[in-house]
Amino acid sequence: MTGYLAFEIRRTLRDAKFLLFAVALPVGLYLLMADRFADRGAPASYVMGGVAAFGAMKAALDTGARTAVERDIGWQRQLRLTPLSGGGYLLAKGSVAMVVALPPVAGVSLVAALAGGVHLSPGGWVSAVLGVWAGTVPFALLGLLIGQLATARNLQAYQGAVVLLLSFVGGLFIPVSTFPRALATVARVLPSYWLAQVGHATTLGGDTWRAALVLTSYALVLGAAVAVRYRHGTAQA
Amino acid sequence: MNLHHGAPALSVAGLRKAYGGTRAVDGIDLVVGPGEVVALLGPNGAGKSTTIDMIVGLVRPDAGQIAVFGASPREAVRSGVIGVMPQEGALLDDVTVGETVTLIASLHRTPPPVEEALRRAGVADLADRRAARLSGGQRQRVRFAMALVSGPDLLVLDEPTAAMDVTARREFWRSMHAFTGTGRTVLFSTHYLEEAEAYADRVVLMNAGRIVADGPVPAVMAEVSGRTVTAVVPGARAEDLGTLPGVTAVHVREGRAELRCVDSDLVVRELLARHPDARDVEVGALGLEDAFLRLTGTPAGTPAGTLTGTPIEAPAEATETAR
Repeated sequence: MTGYLAFEIRRTLRDAKFLLFAVALPVGLYLLMADRFADRGAPASYVMGGVAAFGAMKAALDTGARTAVERDIGWQRQLRLTPLSGGGYLLAKGSVAMVVALPPVAGVSLVAALAGGVHLSPGGWVSAVLGVWAGTVPFALLGLLIGQLATARNLQAYQGAVVLLLSFVGGLFIPVSTFPRALATVARVLPSYWLAQVGHATTLGGDTWRAALVLTSYALVLGAAVAVRYRHGTAQA
Repeated sequence: MNLHHGAPALSVAGLRKAYGGTRAVDGIDLVVGPGEVVALLGPNGAGKSTTIDMIVGLVRPDAGQIAVFGASPREAVRSGVIGVMPQEGALLDDVTVGETVTLIASLHRTPPPVEEALRRAGVADLADRRAARLSGGQRQRVRFAMALVSGPDLLVLDEPTAAMDVTARREFWRSMHAFTGTGRTVLFSTHYLEEAEAYADRVVLMNAGRIVADGPVPAVMAEVSGRTVTAVVPGARAEDLGTLPGVTAVHVREGRAELRCVDSDLVVRELLARHPDARDVEVGALGLEDAFLRLTGTPAGTPAGTLTGTPIEAPAEATETAR
């Protein structure tokens, strides 16, 4: 397993374009939006939380979902003819997704600290970055699930729809407090809403424990779904 | 590093697998001894790939037992005694050949040396090349290196040369020969008759999910199709030759008589006794393709001999094996 994980991490770090884009997109969004909602109760620190959550979520989802391509070309089949177990493969892929999720959060926080006028204590920064990062686990798992359901051809469509839904309806860009009532109710069901809560908590306060509970529940359900789906997929193959 | 000493390399009993209503594999028994090189031969849809997928643990059988050196397929894969080159199974385009084979090696408990596998498969000079820049034949050889790297005692190859041109195929079999020369066991599937004839000790013929013949290449051919005696026999009519003991069929082509029979020695003796002026006598075995056509019941509309080296057409009733 560790051999495979090291291989995957090396592979990912070599993909400079993907990593750069993963960091540049949320950082760019932050710079665009930092002062947009200041008059509607969303200061720069609020935007930072939402955009950092978006960057981490998208990076983790994308990495997990790319397994669809590996399944399509037969790489997973090839790996099943080695001592690597299915669980080992999924764990390595999930870990890589988490590795990729960290730079966007760190990048947005760094830019917010240097240029965006967000001031936090050192401990506040650590919990802001690590909190959002840890909260990304269910999205890494969701990515793996999409990777098993989608094909290389329809992956983009799947992926785009999921990211759009999670980021806009989940309130990562626009404060949920400005949503119509029905939409706000839907938002509170989505894991992205709770990830944003973690992102906002350090500056605005908020129910971090409840967010942690919801995100953990999502992680458990999605983790089980991934495991079941993978076993089903291999039995059929 | 046999898991169980004295166990056959491969032992399969009562193997079955159905996809929907199609019986892809319909009751197969097969024992392969250590050191044998066995060709699994049959048309598309005969059930070869499904059989192999079950042997290597990719597909769970509906019924039957499989033991690889006495162990389950998964145990055999985990301990590295079985090396597999699946029919589909790709390389990651962004990774070099060396990295790919090193990765496969690193997944074993005691990582085996990589250089030897690269050399044996003839891809040592490609180690730094990314998979995206390999030819079809080179890709197959890299996958061969991946199957070799654990130093397996049983090598299973599913249509290893399907995507290769003639030169690549010849080169591939040269590397294979070096491997089998070390006394390892090999099971490979193919629909190229000439590959089975040239590289296997034993042929297992499959059709419609069943084994229809199994034995050494000459024996399979003799058993199912017998031999031919051809000669120029001045003055003899086909009807006369047909009455020779042991002759089952007579064809006259361009002045030569072709006599089909099982016991060619007997036919030659009788032929020369009754027709002392017979000349240019040749004894030959019918090609494996004739054996194949007879066994699988494919309409024998194709002239004998022309199928060598070309894929056999699937019988009309055979359906493509689902995967």
